Amino acid sequence: MTCNDAADALDPYVDGELAPDEAAAFQQHVETCAACRDRLEQRRALRRAIRRVPYRAAPERLRAAVATAPRGRSIRPLLAWAATLLLGVSLGAAGAVLARRGEAGTASEVLTEAVVDAHVRALMGDHLLDVPSSDQHTVKPWFVGKIDFAPPVTDLSAEGFPLAGGRLDYVAGRPAAALVYRRRQHTIDLFVWPDAAGGPDETATLRGFNLRRWSRGGMSFRAVSDLGAADLDAFVRALQR
Amino acid sequence: MPSHSFEASVLPHLDAAFNYARWLTRNDADAEDLVQDASIRAWRFVAALRGESARAWFLTIVRNTWYDRFGRTPAATTVPFDETRDDRSDGTLDPEARVMQREASDRVQQAIASLPVDFREVIVLREFEDLSYKEIAAVVGIPIGTVMSRLARGRDRLQDLLASDGTTGGPA
Repeated sequence: MTCNDAADALDPYVDGELAPDEAAAFQQHVETCAACRDRLEQRRALRRAIRRVPYRAAPERLRAAVATAPRGRSIRPLLAWAATLLLGVSLGAAGAVLARRGEAGTASEVLTEAVVDAHVRALMGDHLLDVPSSDQHTVKPWFVGKIDFAPPVTDLSAEGFPLAGGRLDYVAGRPAAALVYRRRQHTIDLFVWPDAAGGPDETATLRGFNLRRWSRGGMSFRAVSDLGAADLDAFVRALQR
Repeated sequence: MPSHSFEASVLPHLDAAFNYARWLTRNDADAEDLVQDASIRAWRFVAALRGESARAWFLTIVRNTWYDRFGRTPAATTVPFDETRDDRSDGTLDPEARVMQREASDRVQQAIASLPVDFREVIVLREFEDLSYKEIAAVVGIPIGTVMSRLARGRDRLQDLLASDGTTGGPA
């Protein structure tokens, strides 16, 4: 092991994150290299110093507030009010969408409209990405605590559909994970939400956008893009692999 | 698989949540607000918790809540860390040694608080919460390689800050 390698291994070593053989190689190196041994000793001294800093435990009143709040009694009336308002807004939006499309036809047509609307809204505005990242391990955890399900996030750059990121969206009043993929200059929105009932695969074209719908593992997927039908089908096949 | 209860999944990790929130916001009032908001989110979403560590999951919610509230505004990096806190110095030391230890740990605390939040939070999650790189990556939403490089750079900075006053002792 060179000193450069040892510098890279230093922090994972003190944090116990090296594989056993890597840790052994590091130990061997510091036994023979005074400069690297010195750096290791400084890291250990720093850790001892940091661990003498008092831990900030939660105050009792916070503990009491959190322990009692969820059972209906609100710790902060304002917050409860805000949550209610937010719920009202999303229900209202759902109501409005359904009312506007009330005469338009089946539930599936209503959803197709809503999905295309959401896609267009995202493309027009500046709100395409809440979490811009091509790393599926960054995009997936971003949804934790924002929606009550975990959308599967797959990187398809090898198949020619690089992941651009994700955002939280609302489709017909329900929260949906929107995963954003690129194909050349085109954008593909993949909307995901839980749907235990499943349903048949669907293909639709609306206002120049192609749409594909399918279910898998208790989730409902809707891919929408101005991409050609053949390319969008290739995207769906890649995702289902 | 039974869904996890709020009492079993969230309440045991309030200390961790508050400590992390305290280091993110650098003041008690904001940290308490943040943990309350995060608890409400956690209560709403606890059914979505599956096999992962409940502590890392709750800390992720704290972090996301903080980011939604404060993260988009440029944070002042020079806010002094306030001095009110529990004193858990080692009771076996004589009074003079205890004062010295207290002063040393204040300097370390100030040094950590002065770090940019990117470095500060990975150090706090690693040193105070003992999270693995994988868990830190999930909480902060960065790749594991970035966790590693932020830890290395953050610790280098801390060592530089503390080297002048000999707080970390250093090798003889």
